[in-house]
Amino acid sequence: MIKIPTDELVKRLAADVVPVRRLRSPFLRTAVWFGLSWPWVAAIVFIMGLRPDLGERLMDGRWLIEQGAALATAMMAAMAAFCAGVPGRPRWEHYMPLLPLAVWLGVLGEGCVQTWFSLGSAGLVLRPDWQCLPGIAMVGFGPAVAMAVMILRGSAIAPMTTTALGALAAGGLAQVGLRLFHPVDASLMVLVWQTGTVFGLVLLAGLLGRQILRWRYAPAP
Amino acid sequence: MAAAREIFVADETGDAVLGRLMKLAQAGDAAAYAEVLRRSLPIIARVVSSQRHYGLEINDVVQDVLLSLHSVRHTYDPDRPFVPWLASIARHRLIDAHRRHARVARNESAVPELPETFSSDDSKKGVESQGDPELLRRAIANLPAGQRQAVELLKLRELSLKEASAESGMSVAALKVAVHRGLKALRLRLVGDKLEETKQPK
Repeated sequence: MIKIPTDELVKRLAADVVPVRRLRSPFLRTAVWFGLSWPWVAAIVFIMGLRPDLGERLMDGRWLIEQGAALATAMMAAMAAFCAGVPGRPRWEHYMPLLPLAVWLGVLGEGCVQTWFSLGSAGLVLRPDWQCLPGIAMVGFGPAVAMAVMILRGSAIAPMTTTALGALAAGGLAQVGLRLFHPVDASLMVLVWQTGTVFGLVLLAGLLGRQILRWRYAPAP
Repeated sequence: MAAAREIFVADETGDAVLGRLMKLAQAGDAAAYAEVLRRSLPIIARVVSSQRHYGLEINDVVQDVLLSLHSVRHTYDPDRPFVPWLASIARHRLIDAHRRHARVARNESAVPELPETFSSDDSKKGVESQGDPELLRRAIANLPAGQRQAVELLKLRELSLKEASAESGMSVAALKVAVHRGLKALRLRLVGDKLEETKQPK
């Protein structure tokens, strides 16, 4: 515990003051994060090779909406993570990714229902897809590192929320990249294996939030 | 410093003054920063006092908030109000302090008076009874010669086994046996057979 008079502490802190580089706005930081992340995603997609039916997919409205919603979720989650690291900002900013996320999950859910109507339960077969976890981890590694470096510049005001949102941003962008080279389109498969992996990482990052983001002057527990 | 003084002359609300001072502090103005910290103290104290703070030292929390403010002063945006920024840090640090306090409290138990010895009566006997030196002297004198010599050399004069062996002419093994038997005999004579009986397995 601190054992000096408060006036003395004020004097010491004032004496210790040096110019600091102010945090940019969350919007600008999101743009910087995306600027740092997309070359990594593009490089992995290039190395893995574009899926052969990409031209066909780009004509598919549902696929485009799903990808757009995943990208919007990633961007909104990144902005929300940067907002969550700044004290005094409104709480509603934490919920910004919910709308695109609802669209993303809604499109996948609707795909499952469509499959059910057209093929019955036989269409909703869940096969193991062991490429998803390493695929998302590989594509999301660059965005996740960039996100980690950037959120560590903020405060630990809401550590679990910040890291969970950061993971959602990296995972969402990884999902967009993965869908460009991994030719699995069955809604249930995408929902469970790909989106499930993203949410598993979000949960893990949220649980580790307090270990990742700490107050630098916090007394030892 | 001069810039900080000008701000106080101007007729502005407290929040705007703090915001402008903080902007100067971010640029490295120590006087402005000291003023920010001093003016923040009552705000922090108000936030902390308005919340539950059972078992916490308010002064400790206030100082913790000041240190936290210092470490994240780069996150303040001069285009946004200062007091909500500060109050948010104060509230979260108070919650963290509660969490720490609860964690410590879970592993501690309040004891009104620290026990000086263990609670069982047997464990206190040796400490509480002073013993009788004359009785001990007589008991040693009554030991067989070999045991008496071993006890005197090893326990009273605190010689090593090698030294005691050299002085007495007894082997180390014989000394060990003799001192063991001598101490056992002394125990029986001083404490009595009753204590010895209680130590026997039933």
